[in-house]
Amino acid sequence: MDSLITAAARALAAGDPLGALKRVALREDAPALALRGIAMAQLGELERAKLLLRRAARTFGSKEAVARARCIVAEAEVALASRDLGWPAQMLDQARAVLEEHGDRANAAHARYLAVRRLLLIGRLDEAEASLKDLDPTHLPPALRTAHELVVAGIAMRRIDTKTARAALARAERAADFTHIPPLMAEVESAALLLDAPAARLISRGEERPLLLDDVEALFTSKALIIDACRHAVRDRHSVVSLATRPVLFALARVLAEAWPKDVARDVLLARAFGAKHADESHRARLRVEIGRLRRMLHRHARISATERGFVLEPAKAQEVMVLARPVEEKHASVLAFLADGESWSSSALALALGASQRSVQRALEELAQANKVQFYGRGRARRWTSPPVPGFTTTLLLPAPLASD
Amino acid sequence: MKRSQAEIIREYGPFPDVKNVGGITYDGRNVWLAGGATLNALDPESGETVRKIDVAADAGTAFDGEFLWQIAEARIQKIDPKSGRVVATIPAPGGGGDSGLAWGEGTLWVGQYRERKIHQIDPETGKILRTIESKRFVTGVSWVDGELWHGTWEGDESDIRRIDPETGEVLQQIDMPAGTAVSGLEADGADRFYCGGGNSSKVRAVRRPR
Repeated sequence: MDSLITAAARALAAGDPLGALKRVALREDAPALALRGIAMAQLGELERAKLLLRRAARTFGSKEAVARARCIVAEAEVALASRDLGWPAQMLDQARAVLEEHGDRANAAHARYLAVRRLLLIGRLDEAEASLKDLDPTHLPPALRTAHELVVAGIAMRRIDTKTARAALARAERAADFTHIPPLMAEVESAALLLDAPAARLISRGEERPLLLDDVEALFTSKALIIDACRHAVRDRHSVVSLATRPVLFALARVLAEAWPKDVARDVLLARAFGAKHADESHRARLRVEIGRLRRMLHRHARISATERGFVLEPAKAQEVMVLARPVEEKHASVLAFLADGESWSSSALALALGASQRSVQRALEELAQANKVQFYGRGRARRWTSPPVPGFTTTLLLPAPLASD
Repeated sequence: MKRSQAEIIREYGPFPDVKNVGGITYDGRNVWLAGGATLNALDPESGETVRKIDVAADAGTAFDGEFLWQIAEARIQKIDPKSGRVVATIPAPGGGGDSGLAWGEGTLWVGQYRERKIHQIDPETGKILRTIESKRFVTGVSWVDGELWHGTWEGDESDIRRIDPETGEVLQQIDMPAGTAVSGLEADGADRFYCGGGNSSKVRAVRRPR
């Protein structure tokens, strides 16, 4: 490594990206391009950073394979930070293989975590989990150990497994303390806050109370019949019936559950499920049809019996019926119910599933995004939507040093 | 050309406050290593750091018998080791792309890393007197017993080689083990080279062939 590159790298390591840029601003050789790219990334100029890192990788060429691979890993991290999933994942795999072959274990592991975080980002939880199984964080630097635990916690929270999530976050906190990287420590902290914030609201026998994720988890293994308005599903501890694509049926189930053990009058059902103000004979006929459908869907969980004034829900085995709602009842609940599965959705797929126009779904998503309730990545037709961040999802740009020799 | 495998006699470091060993020289008693923000003197017997001079030290280091010479950014500093003060500064010939510095025959020899060149310069003015082409990226440069040696790091491989100062022809080559970089080079006048170990923050003593 030469003198100005060393001086610039020293400035970068000391948290002075501008000082680094000043030293190599006019140089076009590969190490200078890489340093400029990393400095730009730290300054938040992600698009410029990607181009510089790509040029650096190209300029290093196949002869300087390790330096080139480190640039590719850095570019992948910048891409992930900017939610651009257009970069080819197999290039990251190849770079990782080169780093492993040359004994650069830390950067190879860094590449692996980027791949896992990408899987988490695009909602491929099973694959993310499978890749994590091959990784042993014990001997990795603290920043990577933190990244590992954040991904573990992220998957566990998506799966509503709070015990695993808490244990992982405790380990993440210990590892992050060793890094002395403030953004990383802050990320762990905000992940822990997510676990202690109300995750849902429980409505039962006319009363309401907030629930933490732990309570939700406990509820899912209890003997209650749960009408889950976060995911538009009906569940007990044995099975789940999704009504996400049947908004009318779900609305009926929820009204019946909220009234349980009492019955609900036909007018109320019509008003809540169809928005009908004045019920006529055709509405009543439609209600009978929809109740019939709901009966068939819920036959394993509950019966729906006619009463003198309407209908009543009678759980098959459960002793209790509860409604699980989002902490704050909000518009576009059905859109959020789809995204609650942690998968990523295109607006056209959501429109199809909801039976709504793509334009109205897009409007809903944009409103929700402004309220920070959903987020997207990708551009144009490739844009995908997911529910709000979970740990391991964001990247704090731990860019590998692209120039290290030895 | 004679070619052999490097025999590493001893490893020093890693040094806790040195991220990257940029240059190496030897003043007859201590090994000096350029550690970024300081020049550190290492006692090769005990392995202890016995002194530090606060001066920017990014790349090559040399000793002329009285003064230390040190590349920092795009300049070469002349440092009085007694006071630790910079007594003169000349421009580096590679404009900051410099790596490797040696004192020999009353002049300074400076490696220009990715240009694969070694410049002989006037220590008073920094003027380039002549330039030798190498085949590889130049890291450390050292003169010992009238022989010009330099370290290389290219294509993820490193070696120490003696070249003909007139033609640049490689006369002898010592291959470093895989993954071991030479980022600074100095002979101790006896049986060993001291080699900077780049980002490993180590210094290695390598047997000098006879």
